[in-house]
Amino acid sequence: MAVDAAPPAISAALTETTVHVSSDFRGASIVLYGAVFEPDSRPSDVVVIVRGPEEPVRIARKMRVAGLWLNSRPVVFQGAPGFYIAASNRPLGEIANFGTLRRLGAGVDHLPIRAPAEQRVETRYGVRDVVVSSLGADYYDWRQAVVRLKQKAGLYDEDGRGVRFVDRGLFRAEIALPAGAPTGVYRADILLFQDGKPVSGRVRTLTVEKVGLERTLYLWAHNRPWSYGLASVVLALAAGWAASAAFRRD
Amino acid sequence: MDIYLPIAEVSVNAPLLVALGLAVGFISGMFGIGGGFLMTPMLVFLGIPPAVAVASMSNHVAASSMSSVIAYGRRRAVDLRMGGVLAAGGVVGAFLGVELFRLLRLLGQADLVVSVSYLVFLSIIGGLMLTESLGAILRRRRGEPNPPRRDRRPPWLYGLPLKMRFPRSRLYISVIPPLVLGAFVGVLSAIMGVGGGFVLVPAMVYILRMPAGVVVGTSLLQIIVTAVLTGVLQAGRNQTVDIVLATLLLLGGIVGAQYGARASARFRAEELRAVLALIVLFVGLRMGLGLFIAPEEPFVLMSGRLG
Repeated sequence: MAVDAAPPAISAALTETTVHVSSDFRGASIVLYGAVFEPDSRPSDVVVIVRGPEEPVRIARKMRVAGLWLNSRPVVFQGAPGFYIAASNRPLGEIANFGTLRRLGAGVDHLPIRAPAEQRVETRYGVRDVVVSSLGADYYDWRQAVVRLKQKAGLYDEDGRGVRFVDRGLFRAEIALPAGAPTGVYRADILLFQDGKPVSGRVRTLTVEKVGLERTLYLWAHNRPWSYGLASVVLALAAGWAASAAFRRD
Repeated sequence: MDIYLPIAEVSVNAPLLVALGLAVGFISGMFGIGGGFLMTPMLVFLGIPPAVAVASMSNHVAASSMSSVIAYGRRRAVDLRMGGVLAAGGVVGAFLGVELFRLLRLLGQADLVVSVSYLVFLSIIGGLMLTESLGAILRRRRGEPNPPRRDRRPPWLYGLPLKMRFPRSRLYISVIPPLVLGAFVGVLSAIMGVGGGFVLVPAMVYILRMPAGVVVGTSLLQIIVTAVLTGVLQAGRNQTVDIVLATLLLLGGIVGAQYGARASARFRAEELRAVLALIVLFVGLRMGLGLFIAPEEPFVLMSGRLG
C-alpha cells in the first residue's frame, strides 16, 4: 500500500497558445485541458482564472442636476484586467471561503480593482493609517458598476460550471474571447483546491495579437500617426474625386 | 460578412456599413451637408467607440463632399473665394475645437456637451428652417406671391471693415462675418463630429444672403477643408482614425453623393429645405432625449486611455 505517495498535483495545457486577430476575427474559443493527479482520491475542485492585460478604467455616474441627467466627475480604477474569466467545476463560493478567494483574486467580486486617486490615509478614532475613499459609502456601488459594465460587454465572466470533468481526473474548460477582447499577453492560472485550500497550481500564457493587414495598419496608426492621418485623408479625397470622374462619363 | 476594424477593435457587418455610407452620402450630396450629424450617432449605436466614430467620420465626410463638390463645380455653383474665407476661419476653429474636446474628455463632460450641442443647434436650426420652408410651400400652393424679399442684410454686415468682393455670390461685404462663421463651424465640427453643413447652409442663406444656387457647393468646399484638417489632427493627436471603417463608409458615400447631387436638381429648393429641417429636428431631439430620461444604467464606462 502506497501511503505517502506524491502530493496531489495539477497539470494543464491550452489547445492554442496564440490567437490571431485578422480581418475576419469575431472572437475565439480557447479550450483548456488538464489532469488532476490525486493518489488518495480526495475530493478535488478545479478553478481556472484567465486574466487579460491590465487597463485602467474610467467610469462616471449619471446624476440628476436641475432636471437633467449629467455625468459626474469620472473616477479612475486601477488593477482591472482587460479580460477576466473565472471558471470552476462548481460555484466558487462552495469551493473556498471569502478570504482565500479574495487573496487569489478568484471571482469578479474579488478582483483587486481600486481607485487610488480617491484614497487617502488618515487617522480615525485614534487608529492610524486608515484608508478612506472619497467616494464614501458609495464605493462598492462604483466597484460593482465597473464589473457589471464589463460583464455586459462580455469581458468579465464567472462560470461556476465552466470546468467539466470529462473522465476520472481529466478536465476541460472552454474560454470564450469576445471580438472586443484586448490584445496582449493573457495569463491563465489553473488551481487545484482540496478542503477549501489551493494545493497545486499551474500557469499558462496565451497571446492575443493582431496579424496581417490589421497589424500593419494598427502599428502604422500608432507609430507614425501623422503620415497615417495624411494617407487616409488623401485616400478619401482621391476616392471622392474618382467617383466624380467615373460618374461624369455616363 | 463581418469584418474586424483594427483601430476600433470591434467586429462589424461590412455590407451594412457600405449601405449606411450610401444612404448618408445621398443625403449629403442632396442637401450640401457632410452628413456627420446623421452618421456619428448611428456608428455609436452600432457599437463603435464614439472617439473612433467621430474621427473616422471626418474621412467619410471629406470623400463624399469631394465627390459632390466637383459635380457642383461643373455647374459653376461654387464660390471659391467665399469658400476660401470660410475655410480660413474653419482652420482656426478646428484647432480650438480639438483642444476643447480633449479638455472636455478629461473632465468627463464630453457626452454632455455633445448631447446639448446636438439638442440646441439642431433644434433651433431645424425649427427655423421648417417654419421658413413650410411658409414658402404654403404660399406657393395658395398661389400667393412671395413676400418681397428682404434683401437688406443686417446693417452691421456693412458697417464692418475689411470689405471684399465676392463676384460669384454678388456680394461686397466685410470678411469678418464669414471668418467668424467658419471658425464657429470648425469648433462645432470637432466637438460634434460633424462637418457643420447644417449650420453653414442656413447661415449663408439667412445671414450672408448668398444666392441659393451657390450656397450648397460653397458649403461643401468649406466642409472638405475642415474635414481634412480634423481627420489629420485626430489621427495625429488621438490615433482614433480607423482607415478600414472610413474606407467602408466612403465606398458607399462617394456613390451616394453623386446620385444625391443629381437628385437635388429635380426638387424645389424649399421642399428640400423642409425635408432637411425634419431630419435635423428629429436627430436633435433624439440625441437630446437622453438628458431628460432617467438612465437604466446609472454608470457609464469611458475609455481609460486619453489620447
